Amino acid sequence: MPVNALPKTVQSRTWSSLSLLASVLVLVAFFIITAWAAFLNTRTVRDAAHKVDESRGLVSEMEDVLSLLKDAETGQRGYVITGDEKYLAPYDDALPQIEKRLPDIEQRVASDDEERARMDTIQVLVKSKLDELARTIALRRTQGFEAARAEVATDRGMSTMDQIRSQFAELEQDQRKIVAVRFDEAQVAFESAVRSGVTSAAVGIVLTVIAGWLLQLAARARLKRDWLRTGQTKLTERLIGDQTVDEVAGQALQCLCQYLDAKVGTFFVADGESFRRAGAFAVPSDARLPARIASGDGLLGQAAKLGRALLVKDVPEGYLAIGSSLGQDRPRHLLISPAMADNAVTAVIEFGFFEPVTAAAVELLDECAEAVGIAIASALSRQRIVELLEETQRQSEELQTQGEELRVSNEELEEQARALQESQARLEQQQVEMEQVNLQLTERTELLQNQRNDLAETKTTLERQAAALDQASRYKSDFLANMSHELRTPLNSSLILAQLLAENRGGNLTAEQIRYATTIKSAGNDLLALINDVLDLSKIEAGRMDVRPQKVFLARLMTSLTQQFDPVAATRSLALRIHALENAPASIETDPQRLEQILRNLLSNALKFTEQGTVELEISEAGIGRIAFAVRDTGIGIDESQQRIVFEPFCQADGTTNRRYGGTGLGLSISRELARLLGGEITLQSRAGAGSVFTLLLPETLQGVVPRAPAPMAALPAPEPRPRGPQREAPQAVADDRDNIDGARKVILVVEDDPNFAEVLASLGREQKFKCLVTATAQEALSLARQYMPSGILLDVNLPDASGLAVLERLKNEPATRHIPVHVISASDYAEKALELGALGYLLKPVAKERLIAALQELEGRMSQRLKRVLVVEDNAVQRDALCGLLASREVEVIGAKSAADCLEHLEKSTFDCMVLDLSLPDASGFVLLDQLSSSDRYAFPPVIIYTGRELTTDEEQRLRRHSQAIIIKGAKSPERLLDEVALFLHQVVADLPREHQEMIAKARSREAALDGKRVLLAEDDVRNVFALTSLLEPYGLNIEIARNGKEVLDALEQARNANTRIDLVLMDIMMPEMDGLTAIRRIRQDAHWKRLPIIALTAKAMPNDQQECLEAGANDYLSKPLNVEKLLSLVRVWMPR
Amino acid sequence: MRMPAEMREEVEMSLLLEAILARYHYDFRGYSIASLKRRLKQAAERFDSGTFLNLRDRLLMEPAIFPQLLDYLTVQVSEMFRDPPFFRALREEVLPHLKTYPSLKVWIAGCSSGEELYSMAILFREEGLESRTIFYATDIHSGALHKAEAGIYSIERLAQFSKNYQDAGGKASLSDYFTAAYGNAVFDKTLRRQTVFSDHSLVSDSVFAEVHLVCCRNVLIYFDKELQNRAVGLFKDALVRRGFLALGAKEGLHLSCHKQNFAEISHGKRIYQKRG
Repeated sequence: MPVNALPKTVQSRTWSSLSLLASVLVLVAFFIITAWAAFLNTRTVRDAAHKVDESRGLVSEMEDVLSLLKDAETGQRGYVITGDEKYLAPYDDALPQIEKRLPDIEQRVASDDEERARMDTIQVLVKSKLDELARTIALRRTQGFEAARAEVATDRGMSTMDQIRSQFAELEQDQRKIVAVRFDEAQVAFESAVRSGVTSAAVGIVLTVIAGWLLQLAARARLKRDWLRTGQTKLTERLIGDQTVDEVAGQALQCLCQYLDAKVGTFFVADGESFRRAGAFAVPSDARLPARIASGDGLLGQAAKLGRALLVKDVPEGYLAIGSSLGQDRPRHLLISPAMADNAVTAVIEFGFFEPVTAAAVELLDECAEAVGIAIASALSRQRIVELLEETQRQSEELQTQGEELRVSNEELEEQARALQESQARLEQQQVEMEQVNLQLTERTELLQNQRNDLAETKTTLERQAAALDQASRYKSDFLANMSHELRTPLNSSLILAQLLAENRGGNLTAEQIRYATTIKSAGNDLLALINDVLDLSKIEAGRMDVRPQKVFLARLMTSLTQQFDPVAATRSLALRIHALENAPASIETDPQRLEQILRNLLSNALKFTEQGTVELEISEAGIGRIAFAVRDTGIGIDESQQRIVFEPFCQADGTTNRRYGGTGLGLSISRELARLLGGEITLQSRAGAGSVFTLLLPETLQGVVPRAPAPMAALPAPEPRPRGPQREAPQAVADDRDNIDGARKVILVVEDDPNFAEVLASLGREQKFKCLVTATAQEALSLARQYMPSGILLDVNLPDASGLAVLERLKNEPATRHIPVHVISASDYAEKALELGALGYLLKPVAKERLIAALQELEGRMSQRLKRVLVVEDNAVQRDALCGLLASREVEVIGAKSAADCLEHLEKSTFDCMVLDLSLPDASGFVLLDQLSSSDRYAFPPVIIYTGRELTTDEEQRLRRHSQAIIIKGAKSPERLLDEVALFLHQVVADLPREHQEMIAKARSREAALDGKRVLLAEDDVRNVFALTSLLEPYGLNIEIARNGKEVLDALEQARNANTRIDLVLMDIMMPEMDGLTAIRRIRQDAHWKRLPIIALTAKAMPNDQQECLEAGANDYLSKPLNVEKLLSLVRVWMPR
Repeated sequence: MRMPAEMREEVEMSLLLEAILARYHYDFRGYSIASLKRRLKQAAERFDSGTFLNLRDRLLMEPAIFPQLLDYLTVQVSEMFRDPPFFRALREEVLPHLKTYPSLKVWIAGCSSGEELYSMAILFREEGLESRTIFYATDIHSGALHKAEAGIYSIERLAQFSKNYQDAGGKASLSDYFTAAYGNAVFDKTLRRQTVFSDHSLVSDSVFAEVHLVCCRNVLIYFDKELQNRAVGLFKDALVRRGFLALGAKEGLHLSCHKQNFAEISHGKRIYQKRG
């Protein structure tokens, strides 16, 4: 595992750019030089050619002059010979030409002295020649042929001519020489040009190749630099902002790992002497990473200590494995880089790579180290600052509390000082009085002392007597217990003997005697029963009755009781019914003997006191863990005044009863005591002459003391919605797009149980660029709607598990789904109902394809946003314009209306998202306008924001609240608020259901029979709460009357009583002005008329005693704010009188 | 390492607070420890109980002394128009906003013996808002609430009150609002006509109405951070959008977890506006 400590990377940027610049400069210089050389060569060649041309021109000029001379001479000769003037023509032509050309030639040779001399000679010669010609011609003309011939014969002309010729020839010779020299020069120049061209081409190629190489090097360097810079920029972007140390660590690590393509990474932040792990990237959760590393400890610590990056190649086995769900591998190369700030290492980052680490990566890390280091350092200091700030805040609060406390003590001290002064004066006065009183007191004390002694004596006597009494009572009980036992033994034998006698086995007794024996037996039985009762009672009283709980099967108990009492009932021709209700348990845990004893007693009493009719034992569940045994009869009943004493031992309801019906009258007392022993009680409901019900209430399991269960109350669950129609089986599912919903396309939900038609709808939807979800059941439709939040729903009405209308209703009642537009398609006509429930449209099957497409487009249209429209109703033109200007924007179109009529016209023609309304209009008040809008279907009724200059009374405000979203009173800050409210409102419009739909839902929502038409008095001072509660409760058919404080509640109740109308239930807020809810409840309960009026208290208080207070004041129930809608509804249902 | 005695004291204190909660349903567990300890020590001294545990036992046995203890546990001290620049800022910067609402609710949380309430009522009357405003004056100490409802203050304090009132930009004379006799001054009954006095605990109770202004000054200083956050959360929930929250001079939201829900207006006066 080679570990390399990496040196700091050298800055190579300057070098590379310098070399690039140098190469370009060299290249440019080279090309300038070659161009200069080429230029020089070309100029040499061109000069040579020019001079050759010149020489040639000169020669030809000379030849021309010579031939002209010849022409002139020829002309002269012809004329001289013939004398004919026509021969003079060549001569005349040549003369001017010669005169013109000679200076030309002279000019050309002007540069050369030798030639100029020669030229002068030629000119002289030519001149003399021409003179000679002219002279001869003149001679010929004047003196005739002979004179002329003689002149010619002098040969002067010829010699001159020859001289001219020779001069010209020499001149030509010269020129030829010159040309030859020039040619040579040109040749040399040309050769040198060729040489330099080849050389520069070769050098140019070499230089270009070098420059190209350098350029590529530079490009590569720039790419690397760009990569580095991008990395740094990305990192810096991630590190911007007030982030905590861990956030910085996470961000830096994530950014670097992703940028460097590291497979795994950890981030350690300096924390005192050691380093704390502040972040990890792609580290599996089960990996065991150290949470803390000391400086110098391990590679990481080493890197931190050195302040230099470490590169680890070919990591051995045993390093942390990186894994996804598919497999695992370990990093092959590690890079550990410290981050510095102010020459201190603030963090160390470790990366794991699969591929070897590039130099660029190392360089990037090196360059980023400082940024990360500083970010960490500043996050640390930020954290420290926040801590210090909190500390400061705490201290400042502490100071303030101490200050407050000091003020209190100060006030107290002052108070006390004052009180002290006063009391001192009083004390002095009192002292005098006291001395007097003291004397009197001493006397009285003596008296009192005596009295106290007497009292103490009396008390001791009393205590002694009480103890004696107690003992006597116990003796009595003991005696009775023993006594009755003593009595029973002889009685038993006499009973048996009487029985034997009565059977008359010997057959020697007369009928009379048998009757006597029977009477003895029956009297003995009565006596025994009496003794048993007395015994039982005394046993209970002496605390000697044992209870042995065991499992008692109710069925067996009932059989046994039936067998026992059926004959008795039959003999008295009474019907006996012993049965258990369904909710009764199969068995209970109690003492069966005692239980049976109680029931026997109750049943025999019932049978005894019933002349005709039925006696019934009904076993039922009575609350949690309790069971009731109710014994009902249709007998004589018990008068209310007597009901309490029937349970008292030794006193019977009516002294005469005993005599008439027999019995000891102890049975009920014993039963009651036994019931207590079994942890239960016996209750009695009865009226004289109307039968009685004795109910034995027992715990289902007898064990120690069983706490009383609360009375069954508020436990009624809300009724489950009944399923509609018979259940059909769900048809086969149609394939849909639920597995590839991508967000790019809108989703529609098709709810249709006919798979063929569903397929058609889905393919149409796909054609319209929707993703389609398809389901055949109402249940799934709802869950899909909630899960995918489709942009639209196509809904069938006849679904196998529920009606589509129910689905629609549920969708529109759920805040999360109610904004989804729903188009209903059905074979049966429920159009009205569906639209009432909030459907966007309704199509009757069979449906034409075009209509389906139109429906889909309508859904699409509803989904896409449109321009918001606001109607401003304000009569003052200036104000109106100002408002329009204030509210208009790119997304909002504002339309002004100057009167109520104008407003109505606008609303009739088109729809608006929001309306700003001034209350005072020229043709109608805002109140009237609102009423008109709400009561008529002709106008679209947008949400209204009232914008008014006048103050409103509470009644007015309440009236306006029903139709408006917000009320703003004009003033300094009102435009600000108006803008705010409108903006807010328009923002909400999208997600919110249109108001008319809300009202439709309200109408359509199932009116629960229990609540329909009932009157609720709502006592609440908060208008907004009133509005919220009213709109919650009214859809259930409840009539809501409103009181704003306790006094108004009392007034409303008084009025209701006078007008003989009902108030079925009161919802009472506790915190109200003028008279609070608790006082109001107490006052209501004082009036007997309203004793049974259900009152639900609404309280913001949470402690148990607060709620207790509500109940004690007389509320039937309470509900804590913030109000839970479901709870409120179920409480109203529970307490609403049927 | 702390002294064991000190630790024991803190344990005893928390036991005492638990007992108060269980027996009297007052929850002081979230109060700032240092201050609470000082006040409880004073109380223990006053009731000759020595240790907090003795005080606890006594409290459990004698319900009658609890109201007196409550006097120690709640610091009931204030004055009218305390911190006049605050009331001036309220008048100049907050009330113009409130004037745009047709009806108003103001919650004075921790109203103590009512000085703040009467100051507020006078301010609202002078700005013509009183008739459409309901004030909720709440406190956990029913004794203090009774005092607040009575509106009677010692005449000696009135001089300071008057000065504050003038400094706060009062439009009349404070004496227009009270009648002085027998060493006391009683404030105009009609000032509390619109007021609901109620026992309400910021520790355990919830929001009871939607309000436009919450005034809770020098109450949060007695709470620890968690409880401060709860209280401010309640205020946040109670306030209408763009409603106002007024705190005491040493209280601020910059360390509260709800700070992003409020914007401070009128720098340094500790008046905040709930964001939309």
